Amino acid sequence: MTHCLEGKHLAFAYEPGQDILTDVDIAVRGGEVVGIVGPNGAGKSTLLRVLCGLLRTHSGQVRLDDKVLASFSSIQRARVIAFLPQTVNPVFSLTVFEVICLGRYPHVGALGGLGRHDLEVAERCLREANAEELRDRDFMTLSGGERQRVLLASILAQEPSLLLLDEPTSALDIHHQTEFFALLRRLCRKGYGIGVVTHDLNLAARFCDRLILLSIQRRLLAQGTPIDVLTEDLLSQAYSARIRVGVHPLTNTPLVTADAPEEEP
Amino acid sequence: MRERRASSALVVGVALVSVGIVIASLTIGTETLSFRQAWVEWRQDLPMHQAPTLSIIVQQRLPRTLAALIAGAGLALAGCVFQAMLRNPLATPYTLGIASAGALGAWVGTIVLKALNISFSFLSFSPIEAFSFLFAGLDMLLIYLLATRHTRMAPSVLLLAGVTLGMLANAGIMLMRYLAHPELLVSMERWLMGGVDVLGYEPVTTLLVGVTPCALVLLAQAAKFDQLGFGAELAAGRGVNVNRLQLVTFGIGSLMTAIIVSKVGPIGFIGLIVPHAVRGIAGSLHRVVMPLSVIVGGAFLCCCDIVARKLLPGETPVGIVTSLIGGPFFLYLLMRRKFTDWEV
Ligand SMILES: Nc1ncnc2c1ncn2[C@@H]1O[C@H](COP(=O)(O)OP(=O)(O)OP(=O)(O)O)[C@@H](O)[C@H]1O
Ligand SMILES: [Mg+2]
Repeated sequence: MTHCLEGKHLAFAYEPGQDILTDVDIAVRGGEVVGIVGPNGAGKSTLLRVLCGLLRTHSGQVRLDDKVLASFSSIQRARVIAFLPQTVNPVFSLTVFEVICLGRYPHVGALGGLGRHDLEVAERCLREANAEELRDRDFMTLSGGERQRVLLASILAQEPSLLLLDEPTSALDIHHQTEFFALLRRLCRKGYGIGVVTHDLNLAARFCDRLILLSIQRRLLAQGTPIDVLTEDLLSQAYSARIRVGVHPLTNTPLVTADAPEEEP
Repeated sequence: MRERRASSALVVGVALVSVGIVIASLTIGTETLSFRQAWVEWRQDLPMHQAPTLSIIVQQRLPRTLAALIAGAGLALAGCVFQAMLRNPLATPYTLGIASAGALGAWVGTIVLKALNISFSFLSFSPIEAFSFLFAGLDMLLIYLLATRHTRMAPSVLLLAGVTLGMLANAGIMLMRYLAHPELLVSMERWLMGGVDVLGYEPVTTLLVGVTPCALVLLAQAAKFDQLGFGAELAAGRGVNVNRLQLVTFGIGSLMTAIIVSKVGPIGFIGLIVPHAVRGIAGSLHRVVMPLSVIVGGAFLCCCDIVARKLLPGETPVGIVTSLIGGPFFLYLLMRRKFTDWEV
């Protein structure tokens, strides 16, 4: 069964007087990859936190399958929505496989005992995230990109239907980045709904069904297909810089680049 | 599966060694006793005063052994959960100032009672213990008010407030020591060194009734501590109520520590070294580390108590022995094992 997560008129501020999000509409449905893009500090991470219920909206509502998200218990929610934060800093050294097994938390009892099914799921997610060779390594000793792959596996082990990923490819090399987004596409064909924050507009253009562009003024500037959103006008406005858009000669998707200050005419 | 079998074998092994230590603790002492002799006396159904071996075991060694097991287990568990909640490898049951506040309370209690010349008892607590418990409670309350002042429970505020209150209490203790009558000084110094030489079963019962429920509640949080190890955000996304976990750990962990400190004094080191030693051997999953810390903590304090009463002159305070044995052993572990850095 596919799920749908929908936010309407979302508004949020960490402190009174601030407005980080004002009147943002967003939907992540099963079977699509939604990219959330925009400049640093635009509120992308905040939007993801609001969407998965870690922060309460000040106005508006987040609904999961037409029910208010806050009416789900946190465990019920975690069985449907998985959230990968922008930064994860572990303090204990666990092996990669143990880290992946932690993803089973919403499905196992309070004591965290794993059954055979849980271990099988963990093994499958290890393979899915291409991290088999890391299985018995200490997570603390992994490189940044290896960590991101393992964390993705642990998120998948949660067996969610909706994934909210905050810059999951920020540390990946060009090959693993592309492979990662291809994996997201495969998952989405299986019915997963995916919301992914990224700064790589070219990958977003190539792999996302829809894009949501947040601007530094903390509002939703545009949303729609990559072709509609990735225009020179909108992007220049969002990033307050001269952004140029062409067509990628190999993939035929929008190719975005920013002018360096000294190059400006 | 393989991992699980290995860790249950480890638990069984450690439990067996602990049983050995307990038996040793019952027989070894100023006099070495034999169980066979005790059995013979038991079979003859002699009154206690005619059964010397049995009466020493039942009336002295057993309560003492039980007190050591419970106190050691509780302190090790408290260290383990405070390290997990504060995400800090240096945290101990005393990081939040509980031992210092308890010790200050014991001092204040002694002096007040001397001055007013009164005595009372509160549940099974002697006046000194009651004051110690009261001050530890005040310390907890103050920290709680500070840490929740800005909406949520903030672990860093807990840590800072706890360390600060601990220092304040220590200053208070120094002042009392400076002002105190020498006679009083001797008995209080002894309390400050910590000891499990309890008399009779009443203190043991208090420890058991107080510590067991606390320990069970904390053990039930094991899976949540694993999640918290990867940061509050990831844990919250997985469905852990991080705020509640921190509150429960702080409240129950502190309460358990306060009960133990008020009964046996501030015995140092166990809460720091036992969880780390266990992690070094058994990995970092809390459903393994926590029960193992309980067993190893109890056995370790029991073992130190044997050393204190047999190998060292007189009745050496066990607090000195835990540090003397634990310190070098921990340094050895630090040298031998590759400790992966905690990324705090
Ligand atoms: N806990 C907080 N308290 C106060 N302000 C915050 C907090 N977290 C974020 N902010 C502010 O909210 C704004 C949006 O932050 P957010 O992390 O959502 O941005 P972002 O779009 O994810 O940026 P980046 O691309 O750098 O990750 C920023 O101006 C930031 O300074
Ligand atoms: Mg961000």
